[in-house]
Amino acid sequence: MVDVLTTTINAVTISALYALVAIGFTLIFGVGGVLNLAHGAILTVGAFTAYYATSALGLGIWVGAAAALAVGGLFSAAMYLGMIRWVQDEPILVMILTLVTSIAIEQFFVVTVGTQAKAVPSLLPGQLTFAGLTVQTNQALTFVLSWLLIGGLVVAVNYTRTGKAILATSMSAKGAALVGIESDRMYLYTWLLAGALAGIAGVFLASYRTASYTMGRGPLILSFSIVVLGGIGSIRGSVLGAYLIGFLEVFTVSYVDSSLSGLASLVVLVVVLLVRPEGLFGRELAEA
Amino acid sequence: MVNDGSGTGEKRTTGKRTGAGGNNDKKAAGVDRRRFLQFAGAGVATASLAGCTGGSQSSDANQQLDGPIKIGVLAPEPGNNPIGASIANSAKLAANQLNEDGGVLGSNVEVVVKDTKEDPATGQRAYQELTVGEQVDLTTGVFTSEVQLNLMSSIAQQQTLHLNTGAASPETTRRVAENYDRFKYYFRTGPVNSHYLGQNMVDFATANFESMGWDSVAILAEDYTWTEPISEALNGSLGDAGIDVPVNQRYAGGTENFSPIYDEVASADVDAAYVVMAHTGTSAVVQWAKQQRPFGFGGIHVPMQLPSYYGSVNGACRYAVTQNSATPTSEITDKTVPYANAYQEANGKYPVYTGYITFDAVKMYAQAVQQAGSKEAGQVIPKLENMSFTGTTTANLEFYGQDHQYPHDVKYGKEYAWPLWLQWREAEGSGSQQVIWPDDLSTTEYQSPPWV
Repeated sequence: MVDVLTTTINAVTISALYALVAIGFTLIFGVGGVLNLAHGAILTVGAFTAYYATSALGLGIWVGAAAALAVGGLFSAAMYLGMIRWVQDEPILVMILTLVTSIAIEQFFVVTVGTQAKAVPSLLPGQLTFAGLTVQTNQALTFVLSWLLIGGLVVAVNYTRTGKAILATSMSAKGAALVGIESDRMYLYTWLLAGALAGIAGVFLASYRTASYTMGRGPLILSFSIVVLGGIGSIRGSVLGAYLIGFLEVFTVSYVDSSLSGLASLVVLVVVLLVRPEGLFGRELAEA
Repeated sequence: MVNDGSGTGEKRTTGKRTGAGGNNDKKAAGVDRRRFLQFAGAGVATASLAGCTGGSQSSDANQQLDGPIKIGVLAPEPGNNPIGASIANSAKLAANQLNEDGGVLGSNVEVVVKDTKEDPATGQRAYQELTVGEQVDLTTGVFTSEVQLNLMSSIAQQQTLHLNTGAASPETTRRVAENYDRFKYYFRTGPVNSHYLGQNMVDFATANFESMGWDSVAILAEDYTWTEPISEALNGSLGDAGIDVPVNQRYAGGTENFSPIYDEVASADVDAAYVVMAHTGTSAVVQWAKQQRPFGFGGIHVPMQLPSYYGSVNGACRYAVTQNSATPTSEITDKTVPYANAYQEANGKYPVYTGYITFDAVKMYAQAVQQAGSKEAGQVIPKLENMSFTGTTTANLEFYGQDHQYPHDVKYGKEYAWPLWLQWREAEGSGSQQVIWPDDLSTTEYQSPPWV
């Protein structure tokens, strides 16, 4: 039997990563009302950006991570400007376009990289031993960085002019327009931010596991569960949801059966949708 | 060595097979057409043969064949999958070498490659294009067991010789045992079937675990069709060999996060994880190395068989062990290294195991045609059945006989197909596959990872 503390550490670090993924997903939905099915694929873009930066260009992994942050953000922004902006009021079209984009990205990596998974170096290699427990330095870094980014995001949304404008747009695009906020620009910022978070999350995920063309699928499905559980559009809810789902997944795999890992979160998704569709925190950033 | 695809794929395959089997008795429009084409094809082939040989059945090696020998190759994504590329390029290499030596019975050897995409339906379509459309004399290749199983009925119907060079499911040759006359057109030149792959894991363990310091191991097998016979062969056998197996887990297909599994292995305090992995192998070995888990890692690990693997995982496979059919530098026979080098020269990289086996299959077929003096399946089959061929992976490539449990399957054993075991090591900044067993091929001894 695996000891509970080790399992808890696994759960805490993976949840930190899920939080980064889910926040971007929830932001785009909360602010723009758009369900971005290509969000998982942006993780893949981030991961392979870091892979190419380190293996083909011979750059360090930190440069690779910065590149992933930038490329993830720019890719996401380009998706908004090139496609979503024109159809964002048509939910079905948006779903089709983002789904197709996600499949196209996967196929792109099948052709350019192949189906074999690739390793991405750890940002901080080695292990930390703390009170008799061994933790991967890379995992500890993910945890710290995840909270720094989440904290920074919360501060930015609540205390900066642009952040407040984003918040206002999410509450009511019409109202925001009346006070001179350009909603298109706010949507663009949201996509940029969500893409950057997904890009960096992709690097971390690839550095623990590997980079492969399908690596974005799992996180996308988990994001659904997390966001629905936390309340669609709620940053607070997404963070809490990420930890609940992360713990559920790791504990199920460790103590019940490894084949149930994907299933547990889907059961939660269905139950929450039926019993409490507004999630734990409801929609904070919702149009009235 | 192995196949792939999920349990769902297997079910779909089985369904198709039953359907096709039923069609032999009942009538379905599609099959009627196919049968018509098949008979028409056979008629044309017979007529042309008669025209050429005058109906002679002699095995005169000086005999001339009418037209080229056409070989249909079924490979998964031959453009960018190393397994598929090895199949396709090795068939072409063998054909080129045969043609340079004057062809077979004076005829040129032509190769037509089709992509199976590891999908049973796509594989079936490609097979029909090769046999009905291109009228090939031999089909070879196929990596995925689900694809191979789905072709069995068609092979029986088309009565075109098929040499499987990649799919390991024992179910295929079991069908030859059940109905020899119907399925005799099917042979497996390699790899050894998954029952024997498991047997080989037991043989390796018995011979080496003591000196490697692996007194207790955790068995980790990914839950796919191809690993089932291996798990069956391993269950109990390792215990009988005096090896302690506190963890024996078939983990879910598609697993990406190995931390919980490794936590369990570590808490069982075993010396090594003895693995059976293809699809999930890369995540598993990368996480083992990065997390510096306190146990060794080895078994059947298909991705690690790729000669170029070290670079793609940043050396994460260092100190890990895998079974393989051959390495580019192992002199299993005097054909092994020349073949690997010729392949490297033609394609810029070294082949994986499916390449060695496909190369042998084409060469062996050519020899059988030469002996039979004909490319007609009915005459080539007895020659293959009785042949002992020196290939690139064994000096005695032979098939089990009609009365065996697995007729037409490549023989497994020290004298026959006998996989080798290698450890990934680092030399001068890059990785190399060093053979650790069997002893006559070994270039080094197993080395435990420094963190264990």
